[in-house]
Amino acid sequence: MDRFVCVRLVQANALDLSLFQFDFDLTFAVFFLNADRTLYGRFGTRSAQKDAARDISIEGFRLALTGALELHKGYPANKDFLIGKQARAPRFPTPENYPSLAGKYKPTLDYEGKVARSCMHCHQVGEAERAVFRAAHQPIPDEVLRPWPMPNALGLAFDPKAKARVAAVTPGSTAAKDGFKAGDEVLTLAGQPMLSIADAQWVLHTALAPTKLTAEIQRGRRKLKLPLTLPTKWRRAGDISWRPTSWDLRRMATGGLVLEEAGEAERRAAKIPTDELALRVKHVGQYGEHAAGKKAGFKPDDILVALDGQAKRMTESELFTQLLQTKLPGDRVSATVLRSGERVNLELPQQ
Amino acid sequence: MKAILRPVLRHAFTLSAWLTLAAGTVQAAEDRDAKVHNDRMEVAAIGQWIYNDLPQAFAEGARTGKPLLVVLRCVP
Repeated sequence: MDRFVCVRLVQANALDLSLFQFDFDLTFAVFFLNADRTLYGRFGTRSAQKDAARDISIEGFRLALTGALELHKGYPANKDFLIGKQARAPRFPTPENYPSLAGKYKPTLDYEGKVARSCMHCHQVGEAERAVFRAAHQPIPDEVLRPWPMPNALGLAFDPKAKARVAAVTPGSTAAKDGFKAGDEVLTLAGQPMLSIADAQWVLHTALAPTKLTAEIQRGRRKLKLPLTLPTKWRRAGDISWRPTSWDLRRMATGGLVLEEAGEAERRAAKIPTDELALRVKHVGQYGEHAAGKKAGFKPDDILVALDGQAKRMTESELFTQLLQTKLPGDRVSATVLRSGERVNLELPQQ
Repeated sequence: MKAILRPVLRHAFTLSAWLTLAAGTVQAAEDRDAKVHNDRMEVAAIGQWIYNDLPQAFAEGARTGKPLLVVLRCVP
């Protein structure tokens, strides 16, 4: 521990967004920095709500620490090697500068009063970024709607116990076609040294598709270079429903409804083909803008079978994308639900 | 002897760091304000962490030549 200056930050209030750019849906994230603000790497990954720690491990963290120390030892001779890892120019210097957060928080926590209420949460930064587009009546782009994508969206499953080692490659996936194999150690991606899965996510997060990245791989004793192809709309393969920020997407797109895939038995009973839409209303919001779905007539256990005149099968995440990129606040989207075997036509308000 | 102890010390260091990072997850019964207060007290008790003071950390890094390990942790 004595080889680092260790700092714990427990607030997003006044966070320097020109330095701290990470997956704002995380509840813990780690940065390895030089005192001159040069970033060596990041650590911290999450891809599910319930098993929040499945993508991290003490072994992986130890390797990231060791890797950061190695980069520090080689600094500043390796400074050019680290350029790609540095934060991009932020839209606003601190979260409080976002219009949706302005005036709501002070820069420091109120330890003498309601301290928890005085604390801005990291996920609020992600929500504020999306709100910029919504307030401007613009579609929310993929990069903002689906931030910090997991490599799994390309068919690459990384081992949480390593820095950036491929644990499995989905057959037929983009990564499989590019030549990746289980066991490959990704040493660099887009020229950036990899300390963790979060470092790989940073490269993917900042990449503009379509593009082809280069990965330097250690495969056994061999080093080789592989392309990593990012096709157009590749981010849409990922699931964002687990993210805390998706709560606000539900406010915008479904009026507070939480939707989940209907089970196969449910589909059969309702005679819904497997390629058609069947999203069950798991929860109906009760308050404020989260009650808009309820006010529009949606009820728990309704099964959404048509949306905007289409019955194509989609996940809740895909529904977010469709609505938030094609509809604007104030729009009303036609929807059909199955309720006790009857088809009921409703309208889904957009906010 | 040092060579023998090094892996053990390294493991202990990592474990200590990990426990510090994970602090807060075992306090489910506490209310949200208490969690924030307790987090500050518990981390201060460890004595190795600068708490919520990034300028101090940068100054310490510049003075000592050490890299910074910054943990962003949502407590409540």
